[in-house]
This record gives sequence, structure tokens and C-alpha cells, in this order.
Amino acid sequence: MKSLALENLSKTYFDPYRGTQFTAVKDVSLNVEEGDFVAVVGPSGCGKSTILNMIAGFVPITSGRILVGGREVKGPGPDRGVVFQSFALFPWKTVSENVTFGPKMRGVGKAERAKIAEEYLALAGLSHAADRYPNELSGGMQQRVGVVRALANNPDVLLMDEPFASVDAQTRMTLQEELTRIWEERRPTIVFITHDVSEAVFLANKVVVLSKGNVLEQVDIPLSRPRSWDRLVEDDDFKALSNQVLQLVRSA
Amino acid sequence: MMAIYTLWGYYARWTARWPMLAAFIPFIPLIAIWAFIVWLELFPRVFLPGPLDVIGKAWELTYKGILGDYLIDSLSRLAVGAAAGIAIAIPLGIFIGLNKRAHEFSWPILLFFQAIGDIAWLPILLVWFGFGLTTMTFVIVYTVLFPIVLNTVLGIRSAKPDLHRAAQSLGAPRGRILLEVTLPGALPNIITGLRNGLGYGWRALIAAEIIVGTSGIGFLMFDARRAGSVDEIVVGMIVLGILWYIVDSWLLAPIERATGERWGLVTK
Amino acid sequence: MSEQAVTFSPMPYRRTWQAVKFLTPLLLLVVLWQLIVTLFNVNPRIFPDVPTVVRAGWGTIADGSLISHVGASLWRVSVGTFIGIVTAVPLGIAMGVSRGVSDFLSPLLRFFSVLAGIAWIPIATLWFGYGFGAITFVIFNAVFFIVAYNTLLGVSTIPMPLRHAAASLGVSRWQMLTHVLLPGALPNIVTGIRTGMGFAWRGLIAAEMIATNVGLGYMLFLARDFYRTEVIVFAMIVIGIIWLVLDRLLLAPLERSTIERWGMVQRS
Repeated sequence: MKSLALENLSKTYFDPYRGTQFTAVKDVSLNVEEGDFVAVVGPSGCGKSTILNMIAGFVPITSGRILVGGREVKGPGPDRGVVFQSFALFPWKTVSENVTFGPKMRGVGKAERAKIAEEYLALAGLSHAADRYPNELSGGMQQRVGVVRALANNPDVLLMDEPFASVDAQTRMTLQEELTRIWEERRPTIVFITHDVSEAVFLANKVVVLSKGNVLEQVDIPLSRPRSWDRLVEDDDFKALSNQVLQLVRSA
Repeated sequence: MMAIYTLWGYYARWTARWPMLAAFIPFIPLIAIWAFIVWLELFPRVFLPGPLDVIGKAWELTYKGILGDYLIDSLSRLAVGAAAGIAIAIPLGIFIGLNKRAHEFSWPILLFFQAIGDIAWLPILLVWFGFGLTTMTFVIVYTVLFPIVLNTVLGIRSAKPDLHRAAQSLGAPRGRILLEVTLPGALPNIITGLRNGLGYGWRALIAAEIIVGTSGIGFLMFDARRAGSVDEIVVGMIVLGILWYIVDSWLLAPIERATGERWGLVTK
Repeated sequence: MSEQAVTFSPMPYRRTWQAVKFLTPLLLLVVLWQLIVTLFNVNPRIFPDVPTVVRAGWGTIADGSLISHVGASLWRVSVGTFIGIVTAVPLGIAMGVSRGVSDFLSPLLRFFSVLAGIAWIPIATLWFGYGFGAITFVIFNAVFFIVAYNTLLGVSTIPMPLRHAAASLGVSRWQMLTHVLLPGALPNIVTGIRTGMGFAWRGLIAAEMIATNVGLGYMLFLARDFYRTEVIVFAMIVIGIIWLVLDRLLLAPLERSTIERWGMVQRS
């Protein structure tokens, strides 16, 4: 795991059909320490997904730099694992084939891959579903696969793009708790994009509030770990922090 | 009314146990109605033969060996033409689907040549190659080709961007992305194209056999037309129907289901 | 998110641009054709050059024969398709109202829709004689079974909650039909019409080669008898253009507008 730094990152889109251009991200600088968990929140259209897509290398940068472990990155690469809102599991590959896709691409042998699959499926509590196809799993289970697929490739940074937005509320809470558990065990560097304020406060060490392509405020979340909804839902600090972030987002 | 419900109950139970029956039983009342209309003698027998006449004729043609020979002729023509068509179409479709320039250039041409349609080629093919196997093979290859190429292109171009991105960020090189992500994603489309292509190709074969044929089911039917033997025509039609029904529902549809539906790419 | 106006307004030219992009490859193809014929000194009996085809085309326009052939073909297609649609849609809806009935009858419809079109030519010419009746019947037949099957499919895939919602909002049976069943099945119906007409158009060309003395298929076949390859090539181009216009400018947009706007069916 490594640190992540954004230096004066900007993105300008040009719409040829409307003949206009707009700035989605404007001069954003951000530091994520090695092993840190940062959540980015903001109203829709604030540029948070664009930032993630630039870090992942899916969309080109207009200006600025992205550094992973001090090294500048361009284009997508296995050093930055991505978890998608749409899960983006390969429908024609079984759960364990999905999880070991990254290692397979790196030329890891079959026996080694089987070990990786076993380890990470156990981490996600999915050992029983190894040979099923994604389509045969519930949304929550699919996204568990999505998370461990990214982790199994040993990325330096884990990028999560509203990963729990399309699962039901119950499952979402379970997944959030599992994610904090995994983070506490393995300390990956995580950038987590969401529009859900309580999700951001629950998960992260630091919440970055974006507004119109700019960083409005960074809020530290000094809540103790391990975190669970049973405890935090009644916790005054959690409520106060959530409220603070919510006010910032609403003013954004 | 009660009797119908009772029968329906039996039908529902039987088909639940042997789903295959659902493909046969509905034909029983149809044949009964057909026999009834013939028995009423609304139309002269030379225009509308009864089921027994047709069965008799089918037996006679089978016994003489004509039906079997012609069937093999038609099927082998279709198989050769389809195999050649598929072998050209899929690589071509992949190439055009991956290459933006090639796509822009060839798409209108593909649409235009598909629009001309197989059968319109027959006259000029007859000028070029005469009445023979080359003409027929050309027509079938031509017919099978376009639906497969067009659908392969469509499948490759409609690949989900998130899957491509996921593969990229997991470190897959371009070749592997094509092999492991793009092609499987296009597979349901390719199979649809195959199904359409064979559907068109099979009709083109019949037309070609009618117009240029010296053997085959299409020729059998048209020869019977010349002789005014309507029961032989009906035998030909039924054989064609059964044949295609078998190919489509026992060969093509299961492949489609096994890939598309299991993977959740086709919503049924 | 700040928007700035930039002096650039390509929007009004988009359609023109698309048309240019579509036609350019085809024009290049014509140039290539002429080059090959000239360079390799191709025998005009085998393949004529561009000016010869243009002259032949002009000739058929000037003497009015093209208009009468095209007119006859289009008239047959219109009549056959119209009768096919107005009979198939009510039948399909009636059959699709009950799950049991639709399950029972769909094997029959599938059987006949795989037979549809060309395979009926021999028996159609026997029943109706050579001419308008037989050809229109073949077209009707190609459209009818495929549209009926697709309508049935469309009605039976309307989500039950939708029907329940309408029922609990107090619609009458007629309103259920016009406001729920018909619009719900429309995407499938339109797809069926497009597929059916694809088969019908090919069936038309084939039938006209065999069974008439006017129409595009006949024009092609007649030209073959006199080895007039320039007329054959011209007629093929006309057939291609007509179908391209019909399919791409009429049927495909119709299909897209129902399917995509309502988001009812996932585009494959």
C-alpha cells in the first residue's frame, strides 16, 4: 500500500454538440497518507466521480498530476484497484475466476491463484459461492466479490466509486461494517466516493467535501474503531460529525 | 366445458413432467382441424390434401429414397455455406468492431449489400457460374455472412465500458481484454447473428433450390408444383418446418440460453 | 461546472454530416468498381462499367418500365404487409391474454413462422395461380406468423404488476386492451414487423422471379434471360436502395423509438 497525492488537478470537458465547455474539476489538491481511509462527498455534479475516474486513469487529465507512492501515473493500471457502482463483474466468469482475474493477468500460476481465491473469498465470506456466476448472486454478494477482486490484485490504492449505492439499505449497512473490518485488518489506502454523508462519516478517517469541482473542506473523523452501526447510531460524536458534514454538503 | 378443463389438467401435468411434449401436443388439434376441413370437402382434394394423403406421400418418398437424398443435399449445402459464412463473418466482425475507421468506412457498405439481399444475386450468379453448386453456395454464404458480421460488430461495440475499465485497472493487457472481456461480452450478439443468419440462409437455400435447383427440398417442392402434386408440396413444407424447428429450438436456442441467460446478459 | 459559450454550433449540420459520412464509402465503392472494370478490362457480359449501368438505368426510367416494376413490387408488399399486420396483431393479443393459451399455441406459431415466406411459394402459386394473389399471399404469410408470434410474446411479457395496477385503477376491458396490452406489446410488434418484412421482401423477390410478369424480381430474371448484366446490376442497386430506405429510415427508427424511449427492452 502506498500514499496518493493529487496536485492541482483540473478537468475541462468540451461538448461539441452544444458548443460549450465546462470545468468539472478545478485545481484540486489532496493528500491521502499510506493506509488512510478518505471519503469524498458532495452533491451530484460536484465532480467527485470525475476525480475518481482521473485517478483510475479512465479519463484523461486536463492539467495537474497524480502521484501514487510519489510516482506520477497516467492511464489505468493495476496499482490502483477500482470498485465500481455497477459492480462490473465479468458475467461469464465464476466468482473465483473474477477474484483471480488480476493475478491471472499478471501471470500468476494456477495453484497460486487457487490459494488467492480461497483467501479472499473467505475474507468476503463467499467461500460457498466460488463456482457460481455473478448473475446468480444477490447485489450485496456481487459487490463483496467486486471489493475482494480489487484487493486480490494487491493494489497500492483502492478506489471505490459509490460502491454500495445500488444495494438495499440493510445490506448496505452490513457491507459498510465489513469494509471497516477489512480496512482495519489490512490497512489498504482507500479513496471512497459517495453522496451519502453518514456512510462517509461511518467509514472514513477523513471526509473531503467537494463543491463545484473544488475542495470545500476536509473534516477529520476521530471516531474510535472498530465501528459498528449498533454503537454509532446512538453516538453523539457521530451525530455531531454527520451533522457538520451534512451542513457543508448542503451549503455546497 | 368440464371435459376441456380435465384435458387441460392432463396436459399441464404431462408437460410439467416432460417439457418436450409441449412442442408436440399443440399440433394434434391442428391436424384434427385440418382433417376435418378436408373431410368437409370445402376445397377440392387437388388443392388441399388430407393428413393421411400427406403421410402416405411422405412414406412413398422416403421408401423410394428421394426424400432422404434430397434432405441430405439441402442440409449439406446449408452446412457448407454456413460454415464458410461463419468462418469469414466472425473475424471480419471482430476487426470492424474494434477499428473505428474500418467501422465508419464499412458500415454503410455492409448495410447496402445486406439490403440487396441474397435472392437478388441469383440472376447475376447464374450468368457468372451457371446452374450449379457454386451459385447456391455463394448465395448461402452471402446470406449467412451479413447478419453475423453486423451483430458481431454490434456486440463488440456495445461492450459495457465499466467491464473494460475493470479489466484495465486489474492490469489486463489489450489482447487479453479482447479475449477475456470483449469477445465473451459480444457472444450473445454473435449467437443472435448466427441464428438470424441461418434463418435467412435456410430460406435463401429454398429459393435457390426452387429457381436453380436440380435436387434438394426446395426443388422437390417446385417439381411437385409443376406436376401439380400438392401432397408432395405439403410433405416438403412439413419437412422444412420440422427441420428448422429442430435446429432452432434444440441447437441454437439452448446455446443462446446457456450463454446469455446464465450470465444474465439476456433478460428472458 | 461553469458553462461558457464557445463560438461553435455544429448542431444544425449534424444530419447532413451523418448523411455525408454514410454516402462517402458508397461513392468510393462506385469509383473502385469503375477502376477495376477499366484496369482489368472486364468483359461487360460478366460485369458492366458504371456508365453502362447508368445508361441502362436511365433507359428503364425513360420507357417507364422501372416505375411499373417498382410500383408493382411496392404495391404487393404494402397490401400483403397491411393484411398481415391487421390480422396478426388482434390474434396475437387475443392469444396472449391467458398464459396457458399462449404457452399452448406458441409452438404452433413458431412452427409456422420458421416456415414463413419462401417455402410457401410452390403451394401459393398452386392455390392462387401465377400473379398478384400468390405473391401477396407469400408476403402476407411472412408477415402474419412472425408478427402474431411477436405480439403474443409482447403481451405475455407485460409485467403482471402493470396489469394489476391498471385493474385496480378501474379500467374497463377495452381500456385495458388499448392502454396496457397494446402499448405494452408494441415494441415486440414493431420488431416482429421489421423481421417479418425482411423475410417478406426476400420472399417477394424470389416469388417475382418465379410467378409473375412484372416487378423487380421479374425485371432481374428477365434481364438474365437476355444476359443484360447492366440491367441486372441496376435492378440490384434499386432493390438495395429501396430496402435500405424502408428498413433504416422507416422501420429501424420506429423500432428504436418504441424500444428506447420506453426503455422496455434492453438493447442487445
